[in-house]
Amino acid sequence: MISDYISLSVRSLLKRRLRTYLTMIGIFIGIAAVVSLIGLGEGLRVAITSQFGFLGTDVLSVQAANINFAGAPGQGAPNPLQEDLVDKINKINNVDRAFGRYIGSATIEFRDKQKIEFIVSIPGGEDRRIFERMMNLKTQDGRLLTDQDTRGALLGSNYHTGTTYGATFDRPINAGDKVLINDKQFTVVGILENKGSFIFDDAIMMNNDVMITEGIKADDGTVNIIGVKVKDVDQIEQTRLDIEKLLRKERDVKEGEEDFTVQTPQQALESLNSTLFAVQLFVTIIAVISLVVGGIGIMNTMYTAVLERTKEIGIMKSIGARNSTIFTLFFIESGMMGMIGGLIGIGLGMSFAYGLSYIAGLALGSDLIRASISIWLVLGALAFSFFFGTIFGVLPAIRASKLNPVDSLRGAK
Amino acid sequence: MKLINWDEIKYSLQNLRQRKLRSFLTILSIMIGITSVFTLISFGLGIQDYVNTLATQAGTDKLFIMAKSIGAPGTDTSFYLTQDDIDFVEKINGVQEISGMYMKPAEISFRDKKKYNYLAGIDMDKIDFILEASGDLDIEVGKQLRKGDLGKVVLGHNYQIADKIFSRGIKVGDKVLVDSEQLEVVGFYEEVGNPADDANIYVTKEQYELIDPSGKGQYGYVMIRAASDVKPKALSESIQEKLGKHKGQEEGEEDFTVQTFEDAIQTFSTVITIINGILVLIALISLVVASVNIMNTMYTAVLERTKEIGIMKSVGARNSDILIIFIFESGLLGMIGGIIGVILGFLAASTGGSIAAAAGYSLLKPIFPWTLIFGCIFFAFMVGAGSGVMPAIRASKLKPVDSLRYE
Repeated sequence: MISDYISLSVRSLLKRRLRTYLTMIGIFIGIAAVVSLIGLGEGLRVAITSQFGFLGTDVLSVQAANINFAGAPGQGAPNPLQEDLVDKINKINNVDRAFGRYIGSATIEFRDKQKIEFIVSIPGGEDRRIFERMMNLKTQDGRLLTDQDTRGALLGSNYHTGTTYGATFDRPINAGDKVLINDKQFTVVGILENKGSFIFDDAIMMNNDVMITEGIKADDGTVNIIGVKVKDVDQIEQTRLDIEKLLRKERDVKEGEEDFTVQTPQQALESLNSTLFAVQLFVTIIAVISLVVGGIGIMNTMYTAVLERTKEIGIMKSIGARNSTIFTLFFIESGMMGMIGGLIGIGLGMSFAYGLSYIAGLALGSDLIRASISIWLVLGALAFSFFFGTIFGVLPAIRASKLNPVDSLRGAK
Repeated sequence: MKLINWDEIKYSLQNLRQRKLRSFLTILSIMIGITSVFTLISFGLGIQDYVNTLATQAGTDKLFIMAKSIGAPGTDTSFYLTQDDIDFVEKINGVQEISGMYMKPAEISFRDKKKYNYLAGIDMDKIDFILEASGDLDIEVGKQLRKGDLGKVVLGHNYQIADKIFSRGIKVGDKVLVDSEQLEVVGFYEEVGNPADDANIYVTKEQYELIDPSGKGQYGYVMIRAASDVKPKALSESIQEKLGKHKGQEEGEEDFTVQTFEDAIQTFSTVITIINGILVLIALISLVVASVNIMNTMYTAVLERTKEIGIMKSVGARNSDILIIFIFESGLLGMIGGIIGVILGFLAASTGGSIAAAAGYSLLKPIFPWTLIFGCIFFAFMVGAGSGVMPAIRASKLKPVDSLRYE
């Protein structure tokens, strides 16, 4: 039965080939636009969020509040975190280790060429191992820092292999090279593995105490970030609340008016993600407009088809076809146009998105523009285009089904 | 011979009316496209206009020096310019006026509620110059600060409005805490049009140094007015070079940048244009689809009117007549869609503009120049006529005998 419907639909679509093609072009342009834009948007979102490269579900970060999106984490906060908080947080139940970190910026000079970059600190003593594991720090050249490295620095991969040395320095910096950081000489003890994140790959890292003794961070008893590793991951939310309570008391603020944040890396990412999502949504909505226009095209074509086949409908009805049969026939026909248009559109959209990201990769030498097209996007687009085809086919199909057999046979308009 | 005569217009309109539903749907599709394109462009032009006004108000004779930093201004204080640097630059030929600006994020609290916003420390000797460079910003309520004023603060426009920054609007005479210094509010600035600048906190340079003693003499941002007889661009280059030498920094390694206002605004405006351009391009896709729809409709029309075409030809219509009739008809479809689209776009953009203004982004104000309105309508006509070309060619090439026989 259903196969009859389908073969009938295909036959009538093929009979007026030109019109069918044009209608499907309308749909597949829209679907191609939506698929490629969502794909590229997803790719960009993944690229941006992966810049943060935080690892671990058992970590919390504590920061003083600042103006939205201003500067690096914890930098320039009007009311910075006091260093003694670290010890107090350490005493909280379920906290494995808490340690303060400094983040700032500094000049790095190598063979008379100079650049300004992020500088972040690595905690010393037993916290070092935890931190290295948390951030998954591994070197591709040289070694990681130790407590004895009072004049040692660790550099991100971009100084060695990436674009940073290319844009600024004459040659790649290797482990063992001497560099000037804020005009003081340091030895590069190691180069980190590439993390695909400009925050890490461009960063300069050195020991906590070195940043203070060399005057890169003012010795004012404050820290930029407190990292906390918890013992039991299942209780992390409770621990988060405990830390918040402690800070409220220490900083004398009321609940709901906190001038600090205690977040898991995931929570920190979520707020960024929602901003990116809003942008993506806006762009997608504009693209969906073209799908609506394509849908109107389907409706138009189907109305014309009903008009042209008035006689045919009359004959079918007079030999016993019910209203519902006629409805289903036209309904399937328009849904099919939508779905075939959708299939072609998905193909086109995918090739466009991958093609563009390939060209951008060659031209810019960065993987920031990349397509990420999931199976759900493909299935979603397909379902959507079928849905669109049928939605816009409903009205013409109703008109077809309600035709009076006698009038239709007479060819009355 | 006239290309289009009255008869042809009447004939086209009559045809469009005859198949009302189909014409309506076709017009609807082009209308949607024109609406979205019109709306987006009017916002883009509005922002352009805002930026240009800002540039004219601020004047083309301004330059600024910025200390290099990572992240938002004022948060990274690793690099700065000193009073000595400023004194040095002041002596450079062509520098007429100069003022260092203090700026940092600060905590402001009012009735036990805390917020974080930018605090600026202003040298009141140079206030006229600074206000001019900020696009002729003026005091809206209350009075301006005076040199050496301590314990007083002027706030951005939004502080006056309830539920914008604090749940209660602040009035002149109220007390606020800025980084735990108690200050009396003496005035408010006019609305700038973006929520960040309308939330700024302004104190005198002297007061700022009390709030942030460690930042004394460390300027992140320095404003300069060029003398009328020098080119700002040339001056910026000479400052860059001389100050670099003065600070003992080699070329390309300075920890500051000098830029003219015009260049900075230009950069900003280019970015806006590119973003808007991309959005318009995406919206144009729907017009492409609409044009396919028109083509479809016109092909169907040719098919339906085969007999009519045959009759017209047999009574003497030339191929070119038929061609023009069909192209004109589809152009008309496009134009009607365009006119309605422009009207709807106007409504959509105006509504969007007032929503944005209510949210504090009054810089997002659409403008509707005549060129945009007529441009969109003309464009819609061209899209219609263009999509009608192929169906019209088919119609014009029909053989009269065959067409008359067509069933």
